[in-house]
Amino acid sequence: MASTTTARAPVLTGGCQCGAVRYALYAEPTEPSICHCRMCQKAVGNYFAALAGVRRAKFAWTRGAPGAFRSSQVIERDFCRDCGTPLTYRPLDRDRVSISIGSLDEPHRVHPARQYGLEGRLPDFAGLASLPGETTDAWAGERLARLATRQHPDHDTADWKPPAA
Amino acid sequence: MTTQTRNPHLTGGCQCGAARYAIYAAPSRIGLCHCRMCQKATAAPFGVFVEVPNADFAWTRGAPSRWQSSSRAFREFCGTCGTPLAFHPIDRDVIEMLAGSLDHPDGAVPTYEVGRESKLAWLTTMATMPGKTTLENMGADRMGTIVSYQHPDEDDDQPRHSAGKSS
Repeated sequence: MASTTTARAPVLTGGCQCGAVRYALYAEPTEPSICHCRMCQKAVGNYFAALAGVRRAKFAWTRGAPGAFRSSQVIERDFCRDCGTPLTYRPLDRDRVSISIGSLDEPHRVHPARQYGLEGRLPDFAGLASLPGETTDAWAGERLARLATRQHPDHDTADWKPPAA
Repeated sequence: MTTQTRNPHLTGGCQCGAARYAIYAAPSRIGLCHCRMCQKATAAPFGVFVEVPNADFAWTRGAPSRWQSSSRAFREFCGTCGTPLAFHPIDRDVIEMLAGSLDHPDGAVPTYEVGRESKLAWLTTMATMPGKTTLENMGADRMGTIVSYQHPDEDDDQPRHSAGKSS
């Protein structure tokens, strides 16, 4: 008999770079935001964390199990132990799991609307969106054609092993 | 030993402090990458990379875990807390550190970006979104109860917080 979990259709899916850990959201994530606080910065190795959350019942790991680091007594952060991708920000005292927007298969579907942790916001933050730049094609040129990616595709897979290195 | 007598230009590490590093020269370049591989590796809209020659870089505590994301590079991260730490090319003698893992990321100012084919649309308005400080958001009472297990933003010689590990 099919369980509720397998019968319901995910609204969004995501996972880590190597594909060892995959997850599904069964509701639209709410409160999409970025957090500049020093704890989020250091946890994700970036200028800010981009997060959106659902109630615990609307979240499931669908492949593998993440590692977790308790960054304070009220928060755990899940990540892939094989490739390191940060996956969640998980309050222990709230019915909520926030996923890292970049780990979604379709990150363009969730638009942050608020900022938190302004005390940690980088001085040059406002200029980040207008740096001079180019596409990966233009930048890497012929090297890109020779690149063999091992990244999991941006959708669920029945069976998956990264190509041999 | 050369490593111990050199004065670090920049230091950094992971959230839990199990992996720490030092950079001994001014970075050769600092830039954003929006490509889908950097997005998924770092779970972010883009990664910010601080490039230095391998000779000007050293792990000063612990050793990172690594995963080969393509024929071209490894991604290095803390196996204990998961912080993404580096993009490490195989075919170039450099290491590219994730800027947010620096102890003082405001000292590393990016000057270019690549991977524009997957740049997210909302980035153009992110600087003007309404916002709050952590204190405004949490309130002083709740904030006063938080016990951080994060490593301080400087080198130290203390044993790390095993209490912070949940498994």
